[in-house]
Amino acid sequence: MAGTKTIALVGRQNAGKTSLLMHLSGTMQHPVNFPGSSVERVEASATVGDTKLLLVDLPGISSTSAVSPDEELALSYITEGPRPDLVCVVMDASKLSVELGLLKSLSSLGVPLVCALNKADVAEQAGATVDHTKLGELLGVPVFPTNGATGEGVAELLDFFGSEEVVEALDLGSLVPDELAKQVTKDLGVARQSLTERMDGILLHPILGLPIFLILVFGVFQLIFTGAVPFMDLIEDGQGSLQGLVAAGLEPGALRSFLADGIIGGVGAILIFIPQIVILILCVSLLEGTGYMARAAFLLDRPLSKVGLSGRSFVPLASSFACAVPGILATRTIENERDRIATIVVAPLMSCSARLPVYVLLIGAFFPVDQAGLILLAMYMLGIVVACAVSWILRRTKLRGSQSLLMMEMPVYQKPSWRVVGSQVWTATRAFLVMAGTVIFATAIIIWLLSYYPRPADVHEGFDFQRDHVEKRYPQGGEAAKKALKKIENLESKAYREQSYLARMAKFIEPVFEPAGFDWRITVGVLSAFPARELVIPTMGILYGVGETDAGTYQVSWLEGKPDRDGLRARLQDARRDDGTPAFSPLIALALMVFFALCSQCMATLAAIKRETHSWKWPIFTFTYMTALAWVGAVLVFQVGSALGYA
Amino acid sequence: MEFPQPIALSDLKPGEAGRVESVDGDDALALRLRDLGFWPDTWVECVRRSPFGDPTQFRLRGYTLALRCDEALRVHVLRESD
Repeated sequence: MAGTKTIALVGRQNAGKTSLLMHLSGTMQHPVNFPGSSVERVEASATVGDTKLLLVDLPGISSTSAVSPDEELALSYITEGPRPDLVCVVMDASKLSVELGLLKSLSSLGVPLVCALNKADVAEQAGATVDHTKLGELLGVPVFPTNGATGEGVAELLDFFGSEEVVEALDLGSLVPDELAKQVTKDLGVARQSLTERMDGILLHPILGLPIFLILVFGVFQLIFTGAVPFMDLIEDGQGSLQGLVAAGLEPGALRSFLADGIIGGVGAILIFIPQIVILILCVSLLEGTGYMARAAFLLDRPLSKVGLSGRSFVPLASSFACAVPGILATRTIENERDRIATIVVAPLMSCSARLPVYVLLIGAFFPVDQAGLILLAMYMLGIVVACAVSWILRRTKLRGSQSLLMMEMPVYQKPSWRVVGSQVWTATRAFLVMAGTVIFATAIIIWLLSYYPRPADVHEGFDFQRDHVEKRYPQGGEAAKKALKKIENLESKAYREQSYLARMAKFIEPVFEPAGFDWRITVGVLSAFPARELVIPTMGILYGVGETDAGTYQVSWLEGKPDRDGLRARLQDARRDDGTPAFSPLIALALMVFFALCSQCMATLAAIKRETHSWKWPIFTFTYMTALAWVGAVLVFQVGSALGYA
Repeated sequence: MEFPQPIALSDLKPGEAGRVESVDGDDALALRLRDLGFWPDTWVECVRRSPFGDPTQFRLRGYTLALRCDEALRVHVLRESD
């Protein structure tokens, strides 16, 4: 039976297994979950002659004693089942003695072993070469030199995998790693300070290190926000054209609205994030691939540990400033389960890019220009401060327990592998599209249904009467007629929305938000933000009579510096409650922003939390605590502000 | 003749080096330290501390790693003066 031969790649985390797998297998790699866990192994297939191979990249291990779920699962894959036919130990040649220690303990598992001696170039840079032939002879185990970056040596390794050669399981219990390493390593006698050491001297400088880091972080965010704009423009134009086509091709009615607002609008709300996410993941992956991320964790570990997180929480939290969904997925690198959950649960407090249009709209409408930057910064700081507090409390209550271990290798600086970077960007983007996409889409449809229906005939008749009047007054049409008709259309949209199911729900819960100064229209805005936060903008647009303002358009236009298209800002300033008093004031705007900053309104984020924590408990907890905090925050701001006389 | 006393790795100052004498304990932390190469007679050098004071960067066996103070506390070294 020309069956499939299973080959497991094992080794320490930075040995280069992932790049090696990519070179070994020409086909796509598939992440596969271990049953009942979010831990993944990566599988790929290859064919050598008649033999089919299944290559499995297992999570990194340091020895046969497992310290984390990842390691447990990797080891049990080898020892319990499905036992692979061959285990290929990927070793980093620059750390030979430590790797031999790993090899020695793996040999006690009684599985056939083969060695891939990787990163010979790094070893050379450090001033040593390893004689792989001699090593193979002394070990009694086949040793193949490989270069995970260039792919050298991979063909020979692959041939060996596919060959009929039988490999015996050896017991290397008598091996003395230090001695063996010395025997096969030749010192090149190059005592110069390596590039890595020199770079660390600058990047980890006691005074310069942190400022350099901050500049880098700032640079990344600048890149994300400005680099994404042309793509967001394209998406927004595309959405507009499609909606125009639908509007032209269909009679006004449920189908047209469903297609234009529900479907195209829903899909647009998802797609508009993609450029930012791609750039974010690209930057994170590049920084990770070069080895800089370990330096960032080195710099931040202490302050983060003080609030109950870890140095490794930095990347997920920073990513969450663009979008919490990839940020939460990035928490997989945090070994300690409690640190990981704490990070996941506070990640949504990092003000994501979807909140930004809301802040900009409200700040622009109700605060003087010279205060704008300060208030924006304050909103971001609010999220950070609350996150620290929540994490601190959590780690002393529900998530009480031992601190994580840091013990982090700081790899040599190297050129990132473009294959690995590309794969990471693709995986994250796909995960976002699939997960966030379905959730955002479903919620957008629900919100559409609730805000479109019911469509009482008498509303329509009332406006038709006005339309007839316009036609009678301007029998030839013309500009004035068009303007009047547009105005009627806006008023009609407004009237429909005001009696929609969503509005009825909002009116029903209005008392809850009264202490925060919100009237029911603002509440509708809050409710409609649940699929995607920036949907509050088109909703407010309609409710305040501006008409169909597009969320994507709004987000793009403010990034371009033209934030008041459609006059939404002016409309908000003039907006009135049912009793005629102003609906907004700077204080109410502030309360609303605080609400948005702290509220868990993103279904996609909650879906990501469920996936990564494998239970409903944590997404429910996150939703509850954040929404409660948001309410308390908004009420506090409004009540205290009013008491101080700012109303 | 005085025998040098072993000190905790966390007491090694940036620029100082030493040889590992032992690693305390048998828990996950100790096991992991041994997995990372902290074996008796291993040469280890303290490179630098983070600007916030913790963790510390160490060099051993051809690579560098970051250890927190409470992790480095477990390793006993004999300081070597160059």
